[in-house]
Amino acid sequence: MNHHGQSASSNEKDGSPLAGTRVLDFTHVLAGPFCTRLLADLGADVLKVESATRPERLGSRKTSAGAAPRTREDRAPSFLNTNRSKRSITINLKTEAGRLLARRLAGMADIVVENFSASVMDRLQLGYGDLQPLNPKLIYVSMSGFGHSGPRKSWTSMNMNLQAYTGLMMVTGEEKDPPTAIANSWNDYMGGLHACFGILQALTQRAKSGQGTNIDLSQFECSVSTFGPLLLSSIVNGSTAPRLGNRSMVAAPQGVYRCEGADEWCAISVQNDEQWQAFASALGNPGWARDDRFATVQGRMDAHDELDRLIESWTSRLPKKEVQRCLKEAGVPAERMRRINEVLEGPDGAQVFHPWDDPQGGSTLTTGVPFSFSSSLLSRLRPAPVLGEHTRDALNDWLGLTEVEVRELEDQGGLV
Amino acid sequence: MARIIDMAAHPAVYAARLLAETGNEVIRIESSQGDSLRRLGPYLGDKPDLEKGAYHQFFNAGKQSLKLNLEAPAARRVVLDLIGTADALIASSPLLLEESEILEANPRLVLIKVINDEPELCAVARSGLLALTGHPGQRPVLLGGHVVYAATGLYVSVAAAGALFCSQLTGQGQVVEVSIRQCLESFVEQAMVDYTSWGQVTERVGYRGAITAVSGAFPCTDGYWMVSVPQSPDGWGKFVDWVQDPVLSADASLVDEAERDAKKDLIVERLGMWSKGFSKIEIVTEAQKRHVPAAPVSTPLDLVDDPQLKARGFLSETDHPDFGRILFPLGAIGSLWGNKLNPAPSLGQQNAKILAELGYKEADIQELVEGGAL
Repeated sequence: MNHHGQSASSNEKDGSPLAGTRVLDFTHVLAGPFCTRLLADLGADVLKVESATRPERLGSRKTSAGAAPRTREDRAPSFLNTNRSKRSITINLKTEAGRLLARRLAGMADIVVENFSASVMDRLQLGYGDLQPLNPKLIYVSMSGFGHSGPRKSWTSMNMNLQAYTGLMMVTGEEKDPPTAIANSWNDYMGGLHACFGILQALTQRAKSGQGTNIDLSQFECSVSTFGPLLLSSIVNGSTAPRLGNRSMVAAPQGVYRCEGADEWCAISVQNDEQWQAFASALGNPGWARDDRFATVQGRMDAHDELDRLIESWTSRLPKKEVQRCLKEAGVPAERMRRINEVLEGPDGAQVFHPWDDPQGGSTLTTGVPFSFSSSLLSRLRPAPVLGEHTRDALNDWLGLTEVEVRELEDQGGLV
Repeated sequence: MARIIDMAAHPAVYAARLLAETGNEVIRIESSQGDSLRRLGPYLGDKPDLEKGAYHQFFNAGKQSLKLNLEAPAARRVVLDLIGTADALIASSPLLLEESEILEANPRLVLIKVINDEPELCAVARSGLLALTGHPGQRPVLLGGHVVYAATGLYVSVAAAGALFCSQLTGQGQVVEVSIRQCLESFVEQAMVDYTSWGQVTERVGYRGAITAVSGAFPCTDGYWMVSVPQSPDGWGKFVDWVQDPVLSADASLVDEAERDAKKDLIVERLGMWSKGFSKIEIVTEAQKRHVPAAPVSTPLDLVDDPQLKARGFLSETDHPDFGRILFPLGAIGSLWGNKLNPAPSLGQQNAKILAELGYKEADIQELVEGGAL
């Protein structure tokens, strides 16, 4: 039995934390699908609701043509990575039959997750207010850019705009730098992780109370939370804390230093006076390193600019690997800047990426989870679904529909 | 409501804060000197003070503090007694106690071990995140505000909440290991996909062109604003209608995203000239009205009275013992759960209460004092 007291789904017996938990997934792009991928990794049966007539833009390589992806190879590699381990059902939410079907599925779900703009699900009569009476135990999660209330609820959000609005771009870099971004969808990950945590806590609380809940998450607030300390200090002090660039408030020297070659760098972080001594000897105890001013962390912080120039005069003559090797051997924390090809290569390469269990199209690797459980299994890294691959299976095992009933739905145009 | 013991270092400290936001009881065990988070500036009030570190005040809000001299053997007994009453322990490696000792004290415990072996900047360089952050060709930079540690703390919170849910259903505890290194690596998955699919190495993009051909931060009267001009021909049409720039309007080829990409420098220059006469909020409000994705480029100071954060209760009036009534950042989860968080505890604030709850009498406490544990 699942947590709902209904018939078991296929993954129930594998002993994973969310075995038997059903997720009806209306999410698209990254924040939402990343959240539901984590739920799938924890063992949930994630049923991704897709449209065959309007496939997710990122779900197809043929973006301009807007053609429906027929095979897994037609899907964009990023879609395959984000949506692995899920099942896919096609429902045409523009038809009454499709909306009715979605409501029936929500009636059997433990969790509904959606990341449309505010009001879209209400227009489809799939908002919390519509579904809660059908399923009082439902955990309904919206994860729009700004939440479903407040003066900016209708603002359009995108990762880069959130990097700007949340403060990330103005706390990163040095004091006089222009806004500084990270070239990934950082905010989507922040939103997805907060949502997943909220869902797991809501499930825990539901197991006691028997009551579902509505989680109206704001991706903007998720990212602002990660800057909570700097926001709090601005509130109390009435000023923004200085941008530190690569420096630390407790250790020195710390920085990213230019190495031999074009655009090659090594990060160095001397944590204490003992490591400073080790650093000096690794460099062959040059005269400047014996300067008394540098013997204490405060002294090194006060002379950080000067120290940076001296250190870089050493690093810039060496390959970054050599800088790293030399310092690490001396017990000084140092890591070369790795581009993605370097992250993936070698025996000390990334540990979180794994070969697909069933590689078909796209990338050769997929992202696993960075944690392990001693007595619960995490889900296998199953491939992403083909569009609508599990429509029939899901209608059968979530709703018990017969082939005749499925055909009827098809005739009504509800399943495309 | 679960009882959580928090012995996490900075890379995991957000996890127990989140668990406090959802109403769990969180007890942070600190050494006599107070944990290192208390020594990390900026400070509230601008003067170094163990009680006023911004990171301590934010991440330890809603928690209780038990101060022990963790070097003293007698303190270990207190920790084990407390573990006996807890549902979960979040601890950074190396653990203070043997894992077997911990699990013996409470076989139903969820033990979350957080593995981290490098300082923040080095870990970020190794993970590939450093290579993605900064301006093209210039010195790469660490994401500010130690935000990567909030991100790793989020993964710890997910692992902890998953294991707590499991333990509630099965009545059994387990050991969960979270690798901070792997957490950071996971955030470069988009670069991994592009590299393994197309052989493309993602580089730093600075603040321009990351999403659509014409996207980025542009100067305005009070800082910068951020805009992504939509890819579609229709979106471009609506955009030039708004901007009314003669050069951009005259070039019909720009309706095509690929053309815009090729002529990006020109477009960026024209837009920069146009937008510098507006204030951030003025231009962003107008853009949003026209369904053009735009946002102000904020500093944390810009957000202290943000209307959206106030309206949704994210910034919530709180009486703070040192700062009086302030707007406190409750957190993205806490504001939804409707729980008020107590201000971060002073060092050892709940010592007496917790020891009494554990059944320690005056004589026992005297013994702990003599044994150097308190």
